[in-house]
Amino acid sequence: MIEVRIRLKWKGVLCFIAWVIIICSSSVFAEEKYKLDISEIEKKPYNLNGYAEFRPVLNVVDRDAALYKLKFYNRDEGKTTGEYNFKFLIDGSYEKDIARLFLRLSYDLNYINASWSDNLKPYEASLSLKPSPSLTLDIGKKTLKWGKGYAWNPVAFIDRPKDPDEPDLALEGFWVISADYIRSFPGPLKTVSFTPVFLPVLDNVNDDFGKTGQANVGAKLYLLFYDTDIDLIFFTGGSRPSRYGIDFSRNITSSLEIHGELAYIEDFQKKYTDGQGNIFSSTYDTLSYLFGVRYLSQRETTYIFEYYRNGTGFTKEEFSDFYRLINRAYQSYLTNGSEVLLGKAMNLSQGNYGRPNPMKDYLYLRISQKEPFDILYFTPALTTILNLRDFSFSISPEVSYTAITNLELRLKANFLVGARDTEFGEKPNDFRLEFRARYYF
Amino acid sequence: MLKFIILFMSLTLAAPVMALDGEQLLKQIDRNLNPESYELYRKLINIEPDGRKKEYVLFTVKKGRDKVAALFLSPASDKGRSTLRLGDNMWLYIPNVGKPVRITSLQSVVGGIFNNADIMQLDYADEYNVEKIEDQGKEYLLYLKAKTKTVAYDKLNLWADKDKKIPTKIECRTEADMLIKTLYFKEIKDFGAGIVRPAVIETDSPLYRGYKSIIIVANIKKRDFKDEIFTLTFMPNMESLRK
Repeated sequence: MIEVRIRLKWKGVLCFIAWVIIICSSSVFAEEKYKLDISEIEKKPYNLNGYAEFRPVLNVVDRDAALYKLKFYNRDEGKTTGEYNFKFLIDGSYEKDIARLFLRLSYDLNYINASWSDNLKPYEASLSLKPSPSLTLDIGKKTLKWGKGYAWNPVAFIDRPKDPDEPDLALEGFWVISADYIRSFPGPLKTVSFTPVFLPVLDNVNDDFGKTGQANVGAKLYLLFYDTDIDLIFFTGGSRPSRYGIDFSRNITSSLEIHGELAYIEDFQKKYTDGQGNIFSSTYDTLSYLFGVRYLSQRETTYIFEYYRNGTGFTKEEFSDFYRLINRAYQSYLTNGSEVLLGKAMNLSQGNYGRPNPMKDYLYLRISQKEPFDILYFTPALTTILNLRDFSFSISPEVSYTAITNLELRLKANFLVGARDTEFGEKPNDFRLEFRARYYF
Repeated sequence: MLKFIILFMSLTLAAPVMALDGEQLLKQIDRNLNPESYELYRKLINIEPDGRKKEYVLFTVKKGRDKVAALFLSPASDKGRSTLRLGDNMWLYIPNVGKPVRITSLQSVVGGIFNNADIMQLDYADEYNVEKIEDQGKEYLLYLKAKTKTVAYDKLNLWADKDKKIPTKIECRTEADMLIKTLYFKEIKDFGAGIVRPAVIETDSPLYRGYKSIIIVANIKKRDFKDEIFTLTFMPNMESLRK
């Protein structure tokens, strides 16, 4: 164990050195004179690019919060904790005639809670065949990213849920066979495209998607109709309940866009707990939906606003029961050292209770100002997510600076505000400060 | 009375002729800048007052009156991004995000002085009406007015070389006639196949004092494409168009 830690520690040091070398070399490139060389536009059959990221984090913990007690029941983390996170995301591709191989590898190295861990994962790995511009056939691990919402996508039936705090991050895909067939027309219906998807769920293949030993199919029909993007989506199979969705997006003016999603899920099974740790289950048909706008003001301030109704989410009472269970489990541990109830609560927190924004109704607002005070490539932003059921919220001011080619710097704070028994009030932290330096190569 | 009738008739007859001439002249300017369907490479350079600069290389394809798509080849932070314009509809595809999102013409995917409408420019004649033409000796000055509210700049003042029928300078203005930016067309170059046009476009803006943006045009070629290329679904595959 100690050996593994030392090895990972050295990996951390090496990652940091590699990152510094990459950054230093970038400043050398920045001195070059500009011109449009043929080498800059020459097409190569292969491609290799990606980014290296260093992200230290400072957390101010809330030792009375339920999720803090659950996570750190047997140790004292102090008032603050630190994290050092390294990430390498590498995209590689090779193209020949109608075929293209694509691989996206993610390597994470993290120092969290005084221990090192690492994780190497292919986010995507697929072979695409393009016999004509109208037809693409894909096989392999892919992200589909269905839906028009910015923070949430209730119609993303074959995707992992994204983090509303970081909706632009790359996600891991699923192993699928899929196709895209496109047709264009003159007139109000300009484009039609059809995307069928086959998703097997077997032992060791997509086994985190749902019930194993099942074949699943989904499809998306996209229309560009009267200048509106419309998707009609369905998914069925044995791994998850059948579901149907529709989404749309449209520019109303040169500075205003509106979008929405609606998902209908049949026979959704919700498992929930009471304060004693008894698990109950209810099955029902449900609707999830989202409505959003994106507006760019004359002062170049961008507003993104979304309302999200999560039909599969928990009520305030159900979540209060979950927090009661954690507090009871923690008391039981303090009284007699028993970890049985804590184990139960832990399992629940790693399931549906632990997913991003697990309750019913949310508002999202992001305001970003492009280059204020004439500072080019400088963007301050403020993001807030409000839980409309318990009125707890997170608020995240941030500044990003991208003046140096290929280097993106961001400083982001995150305040979590809420009373006891509320979603954001019971998170392990009250405050989080994060610096992110990402270098693209 | 006779004088009044002659004056009235000459005004009513002259107006449409001028409008027709203006429209034809603008169409000719468009054709001299680009073929109707083409591919080209561009380098966009944002230069700050202290001399620091940021460069983007784009591969751009256009078909007909309303279809434009562009793929970012560099810098690495933007590589693989693509933009699509279909009439008034615009989208941006970012490989990490993994899906195209709608953008508006006034947003900017490159920062600096350029906005999305500058990067995905359609023919001027498709977006603007000619309101007035002034003969300024060696140049024409065309006063252009946007056909719809969705066009990024409400008014353009376009100076064009009388002989070559190519622009030398364009002022982009708001409805209230406030100057947003000025484009200067420089270094006329023969790109072959009858395409002779400015290879460099410099831009400055009173809104960004001291900043300058430059577009360098290279390898412009006439090329036909299938309509299906200019679709949301095709955006992740733009690289396959490059030869």
